[in-house]
Amino acid sequence: MTAPENNRPEGAPVVDFDLTTHNRMADSNAAWAELRSTNPVAWSDDNGGAWIVSNYELVSAAFRNWESFRSARDVRTIPGAGGSPDLMPINALPVETTSLMIPEELDPPRWKPYRRVFADLLRPRAVEELAPRIKYWVTKYLDDVIETGECDIVSTLTSGVPGAVVLEWLGFPEDEWHRLGEAFHNAASFVPGSETGQHYMDELEWTFERIREEVTAVRESPRDDVTSRLANIEIDGERTSYEFATGMVNMAMSGGVDTTTSVASAAFVHLHYNPEDRRRLIEEPELIDRAIEEFLRVYPPARTHGRTVVEDTELGGCLLRRDDRLIISEVSACHDEAAFPDADKFVIDRFPNRHVAFGMGIHRCPGSHLARAMFKEMLTQVLERIPDYRVVEDELEEYPHWVALGGWSRMPITFTPGTRRL
Amino acid sequence: MKVIVQEGRCQGHARCLAEGPDVYVLDELGYNSTDVEDVPPHLADQARRGALACPEQALTVVEDS
Repeated sequence: MTAPENNRPEGAPVVDFDLTTHNRMADSNAAWAELRSTNPVAWSDDNGGAWIVSNYELVSAAFRNWESFRSARDVRTIPGAGGSPDLMPINALPVETTSLMIPEELDPPRWKPYRRVFADLLRPRAVEELAPRIKYWVTKYLDDVIETGECDIVSTLTSGVPGAVVLEWLGFPEDEWHRLGEAFHNAASFVPGSETGQHYMDELEWTFERIREEVTAVRESPRDDVTSRLANIEIDGERTSYEFATGMVNMAMSGGVDTTTSVASAAFVHLHYNPEDRRRLIEEPELIDRAIEEFLRVYPPARTHGRTVVEDTELGGCLLRRDDRLIISEVSACHDEAAFPDADKFVIDRFPNRHVAFGMGIHRCPGSHLARAMFKEMLTQVLERIPDYRVVEDELEEYPHWVALGGWSRMPITFTPGTRRL
Repeated sequence: MKVIVQEGRCQGHARCLAEGPDVYVLDELGYNSTDVEDVPPHLADQARRGALACPEQALTVVEDS
């Protein structure tokens, strides 16, 4: 894809770096490694033209500089508003189908009160209160398959559990969880123009419709759930708009449902191919917290985020101009040798491990504590209950691209049958 | 020993709490906003690890001179 008109900045280091061609994790990681070592900040004409920031130092600096690099949706990335579909939106999906995400797409000062709500709902103490629900759903979903000796661990566990925990918390009816979870999971592995692609987009549109319906219902008569709290939040004494209410519920659902899925799936692939790491985690379960951080570093679910430059800003010796687009790579920062010795190795007890898997700066993923808790319970129970699982390698399917999210669509496993716990 | 929190730098990752549960206290939204004035010697390791773990590098440990 090329830019609609050449907006290449004079004197910029120019690279040909088209993220939409990143079809396999290994290829994507290799492309980032090369870019990071040669041009840690560079301009690429691909996807409408954007700066790409790829080493740890500059990624951290860019994430922290919210004054210069804004998150508000850029009108040029919205085809209906005069933008081009070739332009890279904030995430990998065609932007016309994505509902607003609040507060990720707000900048200060508007961002602040919405961020407070999410920080409060998802602070470490609040996540501790969700622990029994997390444990219950992991136990139940493993119970459902444990006597059979086989399952697709993605749909059973790594997609199923975050779906159940988050959608129960939001107050969506249980008979819709599977369909809602699958919709976000499939949309994350969406291939534009494919036969299944249209079906996935239709399903995603259905989830947005359900969010709108629930928000309407709880604004009329609130329930005791998180959707009701988000939909009726008061900012400066006035209830937030219907549009922002749906944006918050969309944020909670799309942020919560398929992201933990990605890193938990990655961990189960990793432990299949690296039996020594599996053995150590089984024999030394106290390593699990450090291992979780290392899984996050090596396999960060969110690979890139977009920003818009609002004032001319120097970054890494380049002048980023007002209105330029900027792609910041969490995954590349996480793999930067300058920040992580032996960065290409999985070091099970790595410390310190100041990875960027949850982003940095004011938009740091507020669900990070919940993500860690769900991931830890899944990992713990799999290693306790089906410790000898094997991935059916021929049927392991990666997402078809690794632009904004990475992950596995399907991971059939076999294991020695065990016993139910509930 | 004391630990100073750089104002406005903490973003609530809570890694200090994970490494130093007996040293660090988070506010009602899960952010670290208060300096630790006097770290007892037996908690010095927790304090150092907590500061080292912070992705925002918001914490500075000041060792006793």
